[in-house]
Amino acid sequence: MENKFSIKNLDMYYGDFQALKNINMEIKPKEITSLIGPSGCGKSTFLRTLNRMNDLIEGVRVEGEVLLDGEDIYKEIDVTKLRTRIGMVFQKPNPFPMSVYDNVAYGPRAHGIKKKSELDEIVERSLKRAAIWDEVKDRIKRNALSLSGGQQQRICIARALAVEPEVLLMDEPTSALDPISTLKVEDLAEELKKEITIIIVTHNMQQAARISDKTAFFLNGELIEFDETDFIFSTPRDKRTEDYITGRFG
Amino acid sequence: MKMKKKINPKEGFIYGLIGVATLFTIGILVFILGFIFSKGLPHVNLYFLTSQFDSTSAYVDVKLSEGSQNPLGLILEETTIKEKGSNEKKVIAIKEIEKTSLGEDAINNQGQPLALSEKDIINRVNGINVEGKSVEEVNQILNSINKDTVTMRITKQGGGIFPMIITTLMMIGLSLLFSVPIGVFAAIYLVEYAKPGKFVNLVRFATESLAGIPSIIYGLFGMILFVLTLNLGYSLLAGALTLSIILLPVMIRQTEESLKAVPDSYREASYGLGANKIYTITKVVLPTAVPGIVVAIILSIGRIIGESAALLLTAGTAAKIPGSLLESGSTLTVKAYTVAKEEANIELASAIGSVIIIIIIILNALSKLISKKFSKI
Ligand SMILES: Nc1ncnc2c1ncn2[C@@H]1O[C@H](COP(=O)(O)OP(=O)(O)OP(=O)(O)O)[C@@H](O)[C@H]1O
Ligand SMILES: [Mg+2]
Repeated sequence: MENKFSIKNLDMYYGDFQALKNINMEIKPKEITSLIGPSGCGKSTFLRTLNRMNDLIEGVRVEGEVLLDGEDIYKEIDVTKLRTRIGMVFQKPNPFPMSVYDNVAYGPRAHGIKKKSELDEIVERSLKRAAIWDEVKDRIKRNALSLSGGQQQRICIARALAVEPEVLLMDEPTSALDPISTLKVEDLAEELKKEITIIIVTHNMQQAARISDKTAFFLNGELIEFDETDFIFSTPRDKRTEDYITGRFG
Repeated sequence: MKMKKKINPKEGFIYGLIGVATLFTIGILVFILGFIFSKGLPHVNLYFLTSQFDSTSAYVDVKLSEGSQNPLGLILEETTIKEKGSNEKKVIAIKEIEKTSLGEDAINNQGQPLALSEKDIINRVNGINVEGKSVEEVNQILNSINKDTVTMRITKQGGGIFPMIITTLMMIGLSLLFSVPIGVFAAIYLVEYAKPGKFVNLVRFATESLAGIPSIIYGLFGMILFVLTLNLGYSLLAGALTLSIILLPVMIRQTEESLKAVPDSYREASYGLGANKIYTITKVVLPTAVPGIVVAIILSIGRIIGESAALLLTAGTAAKIPGSLLESGSTLTVKAYTVAKEEANIELASAIGSVIIIIIIILNALSKLISKKFSKI
């Protein structure tokens, strides 16, 4: 199978500070990849180099290659196009202060879709895919901020899905949620994996073990180990990985 | 066991000072409001708010209504008016207009409608001077008319502040028209586009310094640039342009603050969906910042209403509604200043003052309400 992402010799700097050191990684399509590691090791930074979200920060420098379906995202793909192909869900639910409908329709509208019937259809489909349709279908015109945190997070997922991304990046999407909402998001990720590639940052070992096919362990900006999730959690090759997942570390 | 709280003398002294200072502040406020309101409020009524400031005279034709007991339908009274030099003069004025009267449809000698209204003074009836006559004598003259129209010379009494209210509204509208777009765009540039550094600091320093300059300086500048150099004369336009410059620093600062208060997570979410910068700013950032901008606008309105020095030097003191942008007009505050200064008419100045204070209180309440309502989100 072709790689969705090929990351080659990736270095990333915040000014003088090197946050990622020589990362090499291949990510297969329609898999869930978990990124784990102690706080500050560069998980979010890595995730944000994949959709060039770091471009927004002053003084950021990226070296090496990130290929999406063989194309260099820093050289060959337009950044707005890139971000429609790669959706992102953030740690804290961040719906816009507008209605559920307007939230989900935001992306399509930003890309020029104006027809009401078309938007209606996209909104409904996206909310269904994010497994939140039944809960909000009667209050689609209500302000999204009036929903619970767990519902808000799934609205954000629906909003990301509305532009039909091939990849979904999730940065600790459940860390602000209660256990039931967390399970819903996890189920959702497993469902979505049938169609898209998912990369998820998590501090929750059980979560990584439960839902991901591959797991990558980061430490101090380096990729220490990257393998099948089952291997990582049963027979890690690196001592530091073992220390971390058994909780003797960080 | 109940602990008894002991206040040591030093604390007691400080508490005392705080109390005195607080009472002093509230006392002054109550005194000022009480003084202005007690002098001014008795004069504030519908007539005061809706009539012209200067008195005007005109000849009007009034049709008589047929088959009515009182064909002209006017009930008259004697009143006294103040003339220049504080002479008092007895005149005949309209006390009431009956329903059957055609006084509302009166036509002036240029053929334009000029409705009679209560308090109008009647100077002449069909060429007969009625000044100094009694109500009975005038009624007799009126009753002896056997044509179907009467020609009267009437004087619409002034003393109202309607032109100043309208001028104030025009000044507010025009000044905001200039300052809001410029202020908002400048703030967007500073917050969303400019790279933090020397230039932004310089702009910020400039706006802050501008905010501290007394308005008389702006007035002088406006007079030299707009009134004289650009030859706009004392006019609504010159006044509004000068006011816009006064408003800009506050407008920019306040908008900047409300743009900065928009969480970055909204911007990230928008960029994450592939939206570009302009789209992000117009669809997410600005709408979220609108309550703050509205508060800035309300504060600006307060500033416009309160301004006197700068307007005296640029918009002049005409007491009528400006017919065009290039005509002079005075706002309520400017008028309060001129009647107090030039006519020593403290009652009138206080009456205008009362109206101004009420408007300002309403505006403040409004801005509180808006910030409160939106801070919940
Ligand atoms: N905008 C920034 N400017 C400078 N340094 C940054 C910036 N963002 C992150 N860093 C630094 O880069 C390193 C990696 O940060 P990152 O946020 O990627 O860690 P993380 O693994 O996501 O941590 P956490 O689990 O706490 O979210 C940290 O040392 C952090 O201090
Ligand atoms: Mg992180």
